[in-house]
Amino acid sequence: MSILRSLWLIVAVGFMLLPVYVMVVVASAPDDTDLSGLVFNGFHLTDNLRVLLGEGNLALYLRNSLILCLGTGLLDVIFSAAAGYAMAQLSFPGRRALFALVVGTLALTPMVLVIPVFLIVKELGWVNTFQGMIVPGMISAFGVFLVRQFALGIPRELLLAARVDGAGEFRIFARIAVPLLKPALITLFLVHFLAQWDNLLWPLIVANDQELWPLPVGLANFQSEVGVTYHLTTTAALVTAVPPFILMVALQRYYVAGLTFGGLKR
Amino acid sequence: MAELTRRGLLAAGALSLLAGCGKDEPRQQVAYGKPQGEVNVWLHGSQETGEQFQALVHDYIAEYRVDVRLLYLPVGQLDAKLLTAFTGGTPPDVFKIGHWSFPAHARKNRLAPVDTKALTLQNYEPGTTTPLTYDGVPYGVPIDFNPCMLYYRKDRFEQAGLDPDKPPATWEEIAAASTKLTSADRRQVGLQWLYGDPQWALMMITALTKGGTSLADALTYMSKLGNPKLSNPLGALGLFYSGEAAMVISGAFLGPALEKLGKKSTPYGVAPMPAWQGRTSVVPAYTWGWGVAKDSPNQYTAWHLVNYLQGARSVTTNLDNGIIIPTKGWRQAGPRGESEIMKIVADSLPHVDFGPIVPGTLELAKAASSAVDSVAHGKATPAEAAAAYDAATRQIQ
Amino acid sequence: MKVLVRDETVPSRRAAPRHVRPQAAAGVALTLPVAVFFVVFWLVPFVAAIYLSFTDYEMAGTPNWIGLANYERMFADPGFLNSAWITVVYTVCTVVPTIVLALLVAVPLAKPGRLNRWLRALVMIPAVMPLAATSMVWVIIYSDRGLANTLLGLAGIEPQAWLTSSDLAIWALVVMVVWKSLGLFVIILTAGLQALPGEVYEAAAIDGSGAVTTFTRITLPLLRRTLLFVLVISVAGSMQAFVPAFLLTGGGPADATQVLPYYIWANAFPYEHMGYAAAMGMVLLAAMVIISALQFAFLKGGDE
Repeated sequence: MSILRSLWLIVAVGFMLLPVYVMVVVASAPDDTDLSGLVFNGFHLTDNLRVLLGEGNLALYLRNSLILCLGTGLLDVIFSAAAGYAMAQLSFPGRRALFALVVGTLALTPMVLVIPVFLIVKELGWVNTFQGMIVPGMISAFGVFLVRQFALGIPRELLLAARVDGAGEFRIFARIAVPLLKPALITLFLVHFLAQWDNLLWPLIVANDQELWPLPVGLANFQSEVGVTYHLTTTAALVTAVPPFILMVALQRYYVAGLTFGGLKR
Repeated sequence: MAELTRRGLLAAGALSLLAGCGKDEPRQQVAYGKPQGEVNVWLHGSQETGEQFQALVHDYIAEYRVDVRLLYLPVGQLDAKLLTAFTGGTPPDVFKIGHWSFPAHARKNRLAPVDTKALTLQNYEPGTTTPLTYDGVPYGVPIDFNPCMLYYRKDRFEQAGLDPDKPPATWEEIAAASTKLTSADRRQVGLQWLYGDPQWALMMITALTKGGTSLADALTYMSKLGNPKLSNPLGALGLFYSGEAAMVISGAFLGPALEKLGKKSTPYGVAPMPAWQGRTSVVPAYTWGWGVAKDSPNQYTAWHLVNYLQGARSVTTNLDNGIIIPTKGWRQAGPRGESEIMKIVADSLPHVDFGPIVPGTLELAKAASSAVDSVAHGKATPAEAAAAYDAATRQIQ
Repeated sequence: MKVLVRDETVPSRRAAPRHVRPQAAAGVALTLPVAVFFVVFWLVPFVAAIYLSFTDYEMAGTPNWIGLANYERMFADPGFLNSAWITVVYTVCTVVPTIVLALLVAVPLAKPGRLNRWLRALVMIPAVMPLAATSMVWVIIYSDRGLANTLLGLAGIEPQAWLTSSDLAIWALVVMVVWKSLGLFVIILTAGLQALPGEVYEAAAIDGSGAVTTFTRITLPLLRRTLLFVLVISVAGSMQAFVPAFLLTGGGPADATQVLPYYIWANAFPYEHMGYAAAMGMVLLAAMVIISALQFAFLKGGDE
C-alpha cells in the first residue's frame, strides 16, 4: 500500500515536472530545429546565456526586476504589517470601512483601472520612474488581509500586559507584534515578489526608457526583436524562473505557513 | 434627484481625473525652422535593419545636435502603451505604427499634420501616402510598404505535375492548382491563408470581394483552400518555408526574409496578385508609417528627423533587406530594386488598395478574421459568417 | 434597547480610558499609508471606471453620459456572449480538475516521511515559475513534434494541432493552467490535511473502515473549510485570468480562447471603447461578488 502510494506520488510529481525538464532541454539546445524536448542535444546552456548577456541586455533587466520586486515586496511588508496589525488589534475610527475597502479590491478587474491609475501616476509626475512602476502595486489587498488574519491570533493578554507596563503602542507593535508576525510577513514578501516578477503590462506602460525595464518586458521585446528563436527565448525564460525558484527553496517553510492561513483558521 | 447627485459625484470624481490630462499647460512649440531640442521615438525593433537605423540616428544627432531618444517596444504591446500615453497626454514625439492605426488617431486629434517645410510629400510615390491621410490631411509617411503578391514553391509545383514556370494568374487557377497540391491528410496544402491575423484577413477579403464577388462567396472560396490547423512558429510563412504550403499571399518582405531564414535556399517563384477570371486584380496593401504627436512641443524637429530617417541612405539599406520606403526612384536605390519581386511591386503601384481607411479599421479587421476563421474551423457557414461580419460593420460605423 | 446598549459601552470606555486614545491614534497612524494607498490607487480609479461605464468614453475628448446603453449593448453583442460562455467553461474546467487532482496528490502526500518532504518541495516548482516563462515552454510542448504529441503517440493516438484547432485550443489552455496552479493547491490541501486531528483517523482505523470510506466520510467533511478556501481563490483567479490566454493563444483560433478579461482588454486597448470595457468590467465584478457571496454563504451555512 505504502509502495503503491509512493509510486503514484512519484509519477504524479514527475508529470508535473516534465514541462520544467522540457524547458531545460530546449534552453540547452544549440538551435531550435528539434522541439520534442525529450532528449538533450548537447549542453549549450552557457553558450546561449553568453549570447543573451551579450546582445540581450539580460543583466540590466535582471537588475531592474530585482529593484522592482525587492522594492514592492519590502514596502508591502512594512505597510501591510502596520495596517494588518492595527486592523486586528487596535480599535480606531474607520477600521471597518478600511477593511471593507481593502477586501473589496480583491474582486476588481485591474484591466479597466489601467487608464485612471496611469492618469494618477502622471499627475504625481511619476511616468517613466521607478516610483511609477513600484508604488501603484506596492500594497496588495491580499497582504493586508493575510497579516490581519495572522494578527488576530496574537493573544490579547500579551498586548494588555505590555500596555500595563507602560509601553507605547508603536513600541508594542515593533517589539511584540512584528516578531510574532514574522512567518506571515515572509510569506507576504515571497508572494508579492513572485507576482511582481511576472508583471509585464504595468512596467511596460509606465517605463519609457529601456534602462528601467524589468525582465518580462525585456523578454517580450527580445521575442519581438529577434523573432522566434526558441532555444534562446527558452534560455531567457529559464533565467527568469531561477530567482523565484531560489527564493522559494530558501523560504518554503514560511510560504506554506502563510498560504494556508485561510484554510486553517477556525 | 438622488440619482442625479450620485451621478454628479461620480462624474466629478472621474472628470477631475480625465480632465487633468493634456490640459495642464499649453505646450509651447519650439522655435521654427531649425532642428533642436529633444525628440522621443517609439518603434518596434527589427533585427535586419536595427544596426543601420541606429547608425543613422547617431549621425543625425552628431549633425544637428538634437537629442534623439529611441525606445524599442514589443510589437504586440506598442498599441496599448501608445494609447495610454495619448490618453495621459504623454505621447512620444515620433512613433512608427501601422497604417490601420492612423485614421483613429487622426480623428481623435492626436496627430500633427506632416510639416511640409521639413518634409516634402511630393517625394513619395503617388498613392502610398493615401492610407496615412485622413479627411484630406496627410499625417504620416510610409515605411515598409507592402503590396501583396503570390509566392509559390517551384519544387512542390513540379512534384504535383504543374509547370513551375507558369504560376496561376486567376483565383480559379489557384483553386485548381491547390486541389492538385493538397495531400489526402491535408498536411500538405496548396494556397495557405494567414489564419488568425486580422489585417491579413481584411486584405484577403478586400482582394476577393472588390475583385468581383460577394462576401459569402469569398468566404466559401477561402474555406476550400488551405488548412487552419497546420501550425508553425512563424505561421503561414514558416509553412511556406517548410514546403507544407505550396503557395502563400504575402508582401515584398517575404522573399528577402526567406533568404535569411536558413541554410537551404527555398526554390520559390513570385507572381502578381491573382484576379477573378475576366476581371482586373485588386492588390491589397499595407504599410507602416511614421507619425508625429500633436502634443509634441517639437514638431518641426520631429518631421525633420523623420525626413532624415527616410532619406536616400535609408532607402538603400532598407531595400537591401526587402523593406520598401516608397520615395520616388526607390527601385534605383540598390541592386535588389531590379528583382522580380520589386518589379511586381512597381507594376502594382497604380492598383494598390489599402482597404477601408476609417477609424474603426482595427475592429473591422478583427471582424474579418472572425469571419474567415469561423468558416475555416467549421464554426459557421459562409452565409452566417458574412451576416455576422455585416452586422459588425454596421456596429463599427 | 438603546439605553441598554449605552449602559454596556459606557463603563468599558471608562475602564480603559488610558488605552483608548493612544490606541486610536496609533491605529490611524499605522493604517494611514494603506488607507491613502487604497483610496488613491483603487477607490478613485474604481469610481472613475464606474462613471466611465455609463459613458461613451473613447479615450479622447469628454465622456458623454449615455445611461445604461453600454450594459444593454452587452446582451446583443455576440463577442461578449461568446466570451462570457468561454469564461464559464474555462472557470469550471480549470477549477474542478485542479481541485480533484490536488486532492488525489495531497492525501498521500500529507503523510509524514522523507520522500514526501522532498516531493512537497518539488510540486511547488511550476507554481513559482513566471507565466511569461511557462507559456513559452507550453508553446513548445504543443508544437507539432512536441511533448504533447509524443505522449499521444505512445498511446497510439494521432498527433493533434493543439493550439491551431478551435476545438482543442481551449483544452490546451486549460491543461496549462491546471498544471500551473496544481502545485499551490496541493500544498494548501496538504497543510490542511496535516492539521486535521489524528484521533479521528485512529478511531476509523479501529473501526476497520477502508481507505475510500475514511476519505469520503471523514477526510472530506473535515477538510471542508480548506476546500472552500481553495475553491474561492481558484474561482476568482480563473474568472480574472487574462495573461494565460494572452500569452498562449492570443484569444484564438476563431475566438475559441477569448475569455472575458481578454475581450475587455481588447475593447479597451486596441479599440478604445473604454466606456464599454468598463461596463463589462463591472459585470464581471458583479458576477464575482455574487459567486463569492454564494460560496461564503455555503461555507457559513455548513458550519452550523
